[in-house]
Amino acid sequence: MSDQFHKNIRSALDNPSLQAALDANAIRRLNANQQAFASLGEDLQVVRQRAHERRVRTIENLDFFLEQFITQVKDNGIIVHRARDAQQAVQIVLEIAQDNQAKLIAKSKTMVSEEIGLNHILEAAGLRVVETDLGEYIVQLRGERPSHIITPAVHLRRAEVGQTFHEKLNIPYTQDVPTLTAAARRVLRETFLTADIGISGVNFGVVESGTLCLVTNEGNGRMVTTLPEVHIALMGIERLVPTLDDLALMLALLPRAATGQKITVYTSLINSPRRANDPDGANQRHLVLVDNGRNRMRESPLAEALLCIRCGACLNACPVFREIGGHAYVSKAGEGSPYPGPIGSIVSPVFFGQSEFGQLARASSLCGACKQACPVDIDLPKLLLRVRAGGVEMDPSQALKNVPGGVAWGLRLFTWLATNPGRFALAEKAGYIFSRIFAPFSRWLRLPSFTGWGYSKDMPSPAGRPFRERWSTGENRSSMALSTFRKEFPIQGRSSETIQEKSKPPERSTQEPRPPGDKDLVKRFSKELITLGGTFTYCQIDEDGKGSSEDLVRYIREFLQDREVAEIQAWDWNQFPDDLLPGLQAAGIHVVNQPDSEIKIGLTGALAGIAETGSLVLPSGPGRPLTASLLPEIHLAVLRADTIYENLAQVLNLPDIKESAAVVLVSGPSRTGDIEMTHTIGVHGPVEVHVFCLIAE
Amino acid sequence: MAETAQLLVTCIIDSLYPATGEAVVQVLNKVGVPVAFPSNQTCCGQPAFNAGMRAQSRSMAEHTIRVFENTEGSIVVPSGSCTAMIRYGYPELFHGEPVWLQRVRTLSERTFEFTEFLVDVLGVSDLGAHFPDSCTYHASCHLLRDLGVSRQPHILLEAVHGGQFAELPHSEECCGFGGLFSVEHPEISGAMLERKIANIEASRANLVISCDAGCITNINGGLHRLGKPQRAVHIAELLAESIRDKSDD
Repeated sequence: MSDQFHKNIRSALDNPSLQAALDANAIRRLNANQQAFASLGEDLQVVRQRAHERRVRTIENLDFFLEQFITQVKDNGIIVHRARDAQQAVQIVLEIAQDNQAKLIAKSKTMVSEEIGLNHILEAAGLRVVETDLGEYIVQLRGERPSHIITPAVHLRRAEVGQTFHEKLNIPYTQDVPTLTAAARRVLRETFLTADIGISGVNFGVVESGTLCLVTNEGNGRMVTTLPEVHIALMGIERLVPTLDDLALMLALLPRAATGQKITVYTSLINSPRRANDPDGANQRHLVLVDNGRNRMRESPLAEALLCIRCGACLNACPVFREIGGHAYVSKAGEGSPYPGPIGSIVSPVFFGQSEFGQLARASSLCGACKQACPVDIDLPKLLLRVRAGGVEMDPSQALKNVPGGVAWGLRLFTWLATNPGRFALAEKAGYIFSRIFAPFSRWLRLPSFTGWGYSKDMPSPAGRPFRERWSTGENRSSMALSTFRKEFPIQGRSSETIQEKSKPPERSTQEPRPPGDKDLVKRFSKELITLGGTFTYCQIDEDGKGSSEDLVRYIREFLQDREVAEIQAWDWNQFPDDLLPGLQAAGIHVVNQPDSEIKIGLTGALAGIAETGSLVLPSGPGRPLTASLLPEIHLAVLRADTIYENLAQVLNLPDIKESAAVVLVSGPSRTGDIEMTHTIGVHGPVEVHVFCLIAE
Repeated sequence: MAETAQLLVTCIIDSLYPATGEAVVQVLNKVGVPVAFPSNQTCCGQPAFNAGMRAQSRSMAEHTIRVFENTEGSIVVPSGSCTAMIRYGYPELFHGEPVWLQRVRTLSERTFEFTEFLVDVLGVSDLGAHFPDSCTYHASCHLLRDLGVSRQPHILLEAVHGGQFAELPHSEECCGFGGLFSVEHPEISGAMLERKIANIEASRANLVISCDAGCITNINGGLHRLGKPQRAVHIAELLAESIRDKSDD
């Protein structure tokens, strides 16, 4: 066994730095996810089942939903393209780039682009493509592939990142994660501001509203969908959710399962290109819907894999991934797949070929940790077994191509023996005799390494007299089976009841959400925001909310004076209490509306707040530049207490959400965990978020 | 008089650990359940199923179904993995064949893993077992995650007198067996087992209790290779220990 896969496995196991990184990932992620799921407010198993059913319904009716979705997206003014395969998808992107005479493309993380091999074809066409997710940026600088679908640089330690940055970015060598992050921020800021096209993925497409939903922590997803004139979104056709309620359900699960967060820092909801009076946002938006084998998968026994929401939880839970890491997963020809781990071993053969990639599914002990970790309850072990049995076609000859020869012949022999009790008994005897010859004085056999078993384990010798033989001589058929013994062990319950009770789902909580502005909600909001690293300040205001707001004016003025800042980017005056901007101007603060990368502080209002997650809801629109909460290092937000809602689902159904070109939910300062999962604040978006909450007297 | 239970002893226990099979019989007898052993049984077909060779797996499954559908009463299997094969593997294997599926369903409804049978079907908790040393528990994957059996072995272990129960750190992590996985991917399997052994050492217990002979073979194989003193044994042997002690008296 000296193929590339086994070589990779051995070198991964022999790489102490990789082992340390993978261990840290497994431990950190597991703990974080458990904590995050505990905050769901409902039994995880119930929520998982609901999500599973929603996903099944979506995939079963995919044609219908896809058609509806496309109609809605087109109505919203987004140009829709459909790609049958990878080649078509790449061609579509290339043509859009050429039509716009693009030279520089800024990309946020999209697994579909890795799947279709987009970067090197764009580069071959003379375009400069820059990955802007910190992890992706690191692996791009190193000329590697992502080794994980959520944390692309999970295989690296900080020293390796420091060395890469030192070599490629010409900065002094350092292992300090905040310094490395700040270096990437500086370099990539230039890319965002000058890129001709932004390319992103799509986490969910909402059928009822035609919304593209993107979740990121760093802010690069917002940058590439807001700053360049042209935005191209790449999306697998299976990533649909029928309604905004379904979106809320998936958004409750995705970040928790992926990174142990209740919500990602930025949840972008993109409805349309920039509108006539919008101050910023991409002017031209394209959606490329990629099939690339998904429809074939949908009609196959592997259809369940389409429920996947790409959270990476199965990778983090998988004991095999923990040993070998994402880069080890390769085809027979040594070609990598962007999708490693359990889900990757199921989908890679569909996207890239069963005979080449089918072997990956055999690298699993079928322990089921992946299924247990999956937030939409995909039966991954069952699907891995189907890939082993021939994949999409369930073709036995395909299956055999990936069974090592010795194993296949061994199993044929075993089957011949095991379908006949006489032969089976003889074989047991033969096994015993063999073991006596091989190791006459030991109860243990030390098999040679090439047998696989002998690599690290000894084998107990077969018994001289197997159970069946002992039984047939009657020596263990004890006569203790007397009903008198029964009295000692009273029966507590029958199986049928116990098993049913065990599988019975707990009741779903049907509690009505509290009305917006409820005192407890405001408290909850402030607690969550502070946990995320933001600050929260109460400001008294007149009953009608429009009049005097002396508190607010004073707090913000003092804040700006403290930071010695005289110029801010802000939403229009009519988005705030009447006296706020005049009050600031009177204090000598210069207020601009247009984006300016030199400005340190952005001041925004907010459509609403979400108590559960401490999130601000910021819609685009006239007088409401998206950049004010994105480009400056410090984001100040004015939020009315009576617009603080309990949960995401309530907010998603507010009319303004569907009516704005784009909406972003901001949950604390920009952050990343891409270097050794070290939580670092401030990658691309603001480093500080301060909320001033207006409460009527 | 309790209904006779049919023992599906599993091919591993049959050929490698006949004493475990006997312990199962002794424990069942002790709680008043007579045991029958359909002697034509061989293997449930899981090795070929997991290898992706479904035709081969199917012929073994058909054999097993034929052997056991001619019997009556509960089928007791001292293995979470083989029980899961019958309960979840067989429906997959005979997918789309209503007649076979009905036979599978009838069989599967009668089939219980050993500890599941003791605790859920018989309602037994204290078997009066006695063990004077420390032991710990490895949660076998198919038992835990396919069958959802975790409470049952713990109830039985808590009732063992004399020794002390030690928690096994990360007891729910796979030991690296995975059937033919351990042969096809010995490097990964070995690395997973290394972790398991480190956790066994951390538990400070001398005995690791498991409900699956596959895990036991794997864990002991590694322990023996490394010259470690700890051993894994099947729960039935622990539960039968006191029965044997008493019969010695």
